[in-house]
Amino acid sequence: MAVLSLDPTTSTPEDADAPVLAQRPANLEGQVLGIVANGLGISEVMFDALAAVLCEEHGVRDVVKVVKPSVAVPPWPEQWEEIIGQATVAVTGFGGCGSCSTRSMRDAIDLEAQGIPSVCVVHSALVPAVRALARLVGGPDYPIVVVDYPHNPTAMWDKDEAAAVGSQVVEGVYRCLTAGH
Amino acid sequence: MSFVSPVHSFEDEEAASEGYFELGFTDGFPVIAPTETRVTAMLAAARLGPGEVLGEVPTRKVTVAAEKVAINAVMAGCRPEYFPVVVAAVRAFLQPEANAHSTTATLAGAAHAVIVNGPVRAELDIVSGQACFGPGFRANATIGRALRLVIRNVCRAVPGDLDRASFSWPLRYSFCFGENEEASEWTPLHVQFGYARDESVVIIQSIFSLVALLEFDASPQSILRTFAHFTRAYGMGRDDFVGDARSLVYVVGPEHQRRFLDEGWAKERVSQALWSLLTAPATGPYDRHVDVTGPENVLLVAAGGPGIAQSWLLLPHLAAPTHERIGP
Repeated sequence: MAVLSLDPTTSTPEDADAPVLAQRPANLEGQVLGIVANGLGISEVMFDALAAVLCEEHGVRDVVKVVKPSVAVPPWPEQWEEIIGQATVAVTGFGGCGSCSTRSMRDAIDLEAQGIPSVCVVHSALVPAVRALARLVGGPDYPIVVVDYPHNPTAMWDKDEAAAVGSQVVEGVYRCLTAGH
Repeated sequence: MSFVSPVHSFEDEEAASEGYFELGFTDGFPVIAPTETRVTAMLAAARLGPGEVLGEVPTRKVTVAAEKVAINAVMAGCRPEYFPVVVAAVRAFLQPEANAHSTTATLAGAAHAVIVNGPVRAELDIVSGQACFGPGFRANATIGRALRLVIRNVCRAVPGDLDRASFSWPLRYSFCFGENEEASEWTPLHVQFGYARDESVVIIQSIFSLVALLEFDASPQSILRTFAHFTRAYGMGRDDFVGDARSLVYVVGPEHQRRFLDEGWAKERVSQALWSLLTAPATGPYDRHVDVTGPENVLLVAAGGPGIAQSWLLLPHLAAPTHERIGP
């Protein structure tokens, strides 16, 4: 006799709605950059370096940065209000561990839903994880910027290396946040 | 009873078990086919409808309904009478302070201990004594396994996908045990959390590391110094999300417990003395300050069998211990 058994999983990822990307500016001139940092390793130094270049070379007017209370949770509500109240474009991350990378991806998608063009900076080791998260919550093709080896995934870098990584991701971040994407 | 889950059809039970493996639904061990009859019996034992929501993992937009938990409990090999314990475990695991997304996607591969207190231990033969961490006990094995299958199938923590554990570890197959409340007059863990002694309760503790604590000296002071020494070798920093609730769990074996009891040390005194040792200033890279807020965050659970003078530290991931009364 046939055995009829029930499926143990949650609904299939394909059920998730694809997000609508916020409208990108033509360039970053006069924009306010929001940084939603998870505090992993010294990735804050990387973001500071990234922000400095975007201000100096691409005309970003101001920067507002929050560091979340833990690596893999949403920002506190007041941090969220600060970002969506001031930022006109945003970057999240650093996605270098399993839970923090995926949460940072969700942060970026949530900012996008608020109409703020955003991008998540992820290590190559965690790309499958953020893609899995994006499939679940909507947005399997959501843009990311990838940091690769030899930089280790957990952002246990020295300050020079962190600053170098910040400079390396400028082009990708710029591309994802502007209409050229 | 009406279910929303899709149905898979197989020729027989063996094909169902193989098929569920092929579909990616298992932990690698064979499973029991979750037929409607079996799932219905599971839900009835907890007096739950299939649509009852037990919690969610917001980061993943995952809502956990009783139907899916019952399906996974059948697959794990639970008897229906175990299901109220599984339900309480899932509810505790999904409380915000348990940080479900973080503890199941982490590179560190955190596990979860399902600690059971109260009369249900005797009713279901949930073992708290000799060999209680290991195989051989159906209730321990299948309740712990049910939670892990829920984490995999419902919460979507699949290795290589959202589960990013670099190594993972055997505790992630199943880890459930009871507190040996009958061994002494020590205040049971659930009573410390405000429950009545005759209530049955599940406590979930995330585990970053499981640390063996061996000390053969008989004095309570020596035992506590050893507990502190190994804990401080790992250290534990502050996490602002978990805040003051982050706690250490020490599973105290009977040979150590006996030494404390002989000297008249209640749990509270042990916790106080140990907290003082843990929070002393660091003296080097392998003797670190442990950021636990107070003695109430140094939790003791009596368990294990006689023989070796051993206890265990359940060092937490980025989560607080959470608890839930076992219904219905």
